[in-house]
Amino acid sequence: MLFLTEILGAEVVDVRQRRSGRVRDVTVRIQEPYPLVTGLVVSRHRELVIPWSSVRALAGREVALRVPREDVEKHQASPDDVWLARDVLDKQIVDLDGRRVVRVNDLQLTEVRGEMLLVAADIGIRGILRRLGLEGAGKAIARLFGRNLPMVLVAWNVVAPLAPPSPQQAAAGDELRLRISGKRIAKLHPADIADIVEELGAKDRHAVFESLAEDIAADTLEEMELEDQVSVIEHMGAERASEILEEMPPDEVADILAEMPEDRAQEILGLMESEERDDVEELLAYREGTAGGLMTTEFVAVSEDLSAQQCIDELRRMEPNAESIYYVFVVDGQEHLRGVLSLRDLIVAPPDKPIRDIMIRNVIAVRLDASAEEVAAVLSKYNLLAVPVVDEEDQLRGLVTVDDALDEVLPDSVKRKLPRVF
Amino acid sequence: MLDRLISRLRRFRRIFILLAVIGPGLITTNAGNDAGAIATYSQAGAEFGFRMIWLLVVITLSLAVVNEMGARMGVVTGKGLADLIRERFGVRSTTFAMLLLLVANSVTTMAEFAGMAAALELFQVPRFVTVPLVAIAIWLLIVRGSYPLVERVLLAIGLVYLAYIASGIAAHPDWGQVGQSALLPRPDPSRAYFLLAIGLVGTTIAPWMQFYLQSSVAEKGIPNDQLRYSQVDVVSGAIFADLVAFFIIVAAAVTLYGHVTPGQLANMQAADYARALTPVAGAGAFVLFGIGLFGASLLSGGVVPLSTAYTVTEAFGWERGVGQRLADAPAFFGIFTGLIVIGAVTVLIPGVPLVPMILLSQEINGLILAAILVYMLVLVNDRRVMGRYVNGLVANVIGGATVVLLICLTGFLLLSVVPGSPLAG
Repeated sequence: MLFLTEILGAEVVDVRQRRSGRVRDVTVRIQEPYPLVTGLVVSRHRELVIPWSSVRALAGREVALRVPREDVEKHQASPDDVWLARDVLDKQIVDLDGRRVVRVNDLQLTEVRGEMLLVAADIGIRGILRRLGLEGAGKAIARLFGRNLPMVLVAWNVVAPLAPPSPQQAAAGDELRLRISGKRIAKLHPADIADIVEELGAKDRHAVFESLAEDIAADTLEEMELEDQVSVIEHMGAERASEILEEMPPDEVADILAEMPEDRAQEILGLMESEERDDVEELLAYREGTAGGLMTTEFVAVSEDLSAQQCIDELRRMEPNAESIYYVFVVDGQEHLRGVLSLRDLIVAPPDKPIRDIMIRNVIAVRLDASAEEVAAVLSKYNLLAVPVVDEEDQLRGLVTVDDALDEVLPDSVKRKLPRVF
Repeated sequence: MLDRLISRLRRFRRIFILLAVIGPGLITTNAGNDAGAIATYSQAGAEFGFRMIWLLVVITLSLAVVNEMGARMGVVTGKGLADLIRERFGVRSTTFAMLLLLVANSVTTMAEFAGMAAALELFQVPRFVTVPLVAIAIWLLIVRGSYPLVERVLLAIGLVYLAYIASGIAAHPDWGQVGQSALLPRPDPSRAYFLLAIGLVGTTIAPWMQFYLQSSVAEKGIPNDQLRYSQVDVVSGAIFADLVAFFIIVAAAVTLYGHVTPGQLANMQAADYARALTPVAGAGAFVLFGIGLFGASLLSGGVVPLSTAYTVTEAFGWERGVGQRLADAPAFFGIFTGLIVIGAVTVLIPGVPLVPMILLSQEINGLILAAILVYMLVLVNDRRVMGRYVNGLVANVIGGATVVLLICLTGFLLLSVVPGSPLAG
């Protein structure tokens, strides 16, 4: 087992036994699944990189070259290479298996069929102790207590490195590195991605979002706290922000935009497709904390003139999303709420039976200006998963789901990060 | 019960909306007017009259510059100071910095507990009752994630200290003399003076505040083009906090300087400091002082251990957050619990003089600050970290001068205890 920090600082000796400086960094070329070691950066000359092919052996704290040092002096660092000590060591990475953000204490290199590969990151206490020169002492103490000091390694193929915070820090190879990162992160469940990005600093968080496809970014955003949603959207270009927001339910979009500066919100709205935009604009007009402000305009409403079969066909055509399929609302020609159907009622009814005859006529509904507390009370009293919202003329305007109502009336969940305090 | 109280508090959050709008800079620096700060400024006035005001003027400039550096690093990198130290300097330097921070924050936490004990003793409540109760209360609030809510309330209590401004004016100081002392340094070449001067710097530019401020700025995710707002925020925070400090020194100088015996000076009580508020509050001075001291100490008594736990675990990449289970984040829980226990237990040692302990803690902070500033200066000048937002000449000169000032003060302090040196005496 070879660790990066064991190579760093090692004496480089050329084929004629001449000392040729100390190892300052190790360069790799990014490739899937494991990056390939391409050379050693030597301290005597800032940009001198000894190609890995010129290295004969690593023994103790010495690197033996197979060529005289004059032969490597003209070699230049490749701009595409990533420098491990400078760009990866001590930085944060995402451990995709553990679904957490960790810090790289050391990097493990292994020779596979003549090639040296970066295979794992050491994220445990052993890596820290090794760099403090205390690994032996740590092991001895652990043994005293009858324990082993565990080595905590994460294989590099389940690791996603993060972006350097400033462009000045970016090596050319970073772009590829981040593309691979983004692809790997995208495979996680959006809820896990949300947990991970909430652990990250602001700039890293935005970088991860840049790397995600729009639908995944939207799903991830939905899992986050409003405050963080706003911060992420605020940092995006308006174009991309509008594309991601189009994938989200209009009520959430309205909540996010309501928290943003007016002109910026307008800019993003302007770029959205007109249908989505109308929904969001309607919702934005309602006061925060009322049924109007809480509701989504994604609901299922069918005409009371349909038969059961026609109604099922209509649902199939609309492909409603999961949140809104709890109830099928029945309206007349002027959008007045007339009744409600459950999917069960619809499916067990004879195909040609008019839905007017099977719907429940006394629909529990709330007014647009009902407070969040009232909405929650109604939901709880009648054990509903969602409650329709109507205006003064009894026209159906939206739907408040139980989780949206709960979010509003429950005290905010425990804030996990201290600095967010203020 | 607690849950209900907290959810009720949340409903009143709009009352505190003003406090929510004020940025991290204004809040952090003013939260920094804690037990250590109150005691140090009061002692400065009581012991040396106006003779430390020049130093306060000088370090207000330092505080503004250092805070601005921290805020700029927070905005540009989106990372906390501990993260940057780790990423730029590696494990060894990080371990060193974190050990220093642990020492500084342990003594600061002790000072906060001493402040709470001293405040409550003003109301005849013995510390053996209050300290354990408060320690447990703080611990529970942190573990339940409720601290953020309480903090706003405590910050509001801290506004009591605005009374010092009124008191300083009502005390009718000789403003000519105050002005002269502010502009002309006339240090008293004694050990006590240099020691307190180090404490004054250490409490004004407390190391924990630098870590805390940068993290709160970073957490806000402010885009680079809005850096200006952040700068205004932290600089005005520094000026406002030190304005309060200035009036504390003035009020204490007028009411206490020359009115207390040297024997008393070496072991001041909270009740003595409280007298600085009599020009404005009369007999109610000690109530006002006690409430303010308790609120400010309680606030920092929770913030310091919690921010230490976040800082250290972030630097080493360990699991953290009050949402974690104890078994998953032992270091995180261990650090803040440890600091609270150390703070509470030290105060309970029979016969421990509270005020001298508070002053000592700030002096330790001052000594450690120099090292933390060096880390900050190297980072903020590193183009790979800051890009085009590296320090300008003015910031470097003032930041560097602060380090030099601390080293000089420490040098004088050492000289003053060497027998036969020109400063010994």
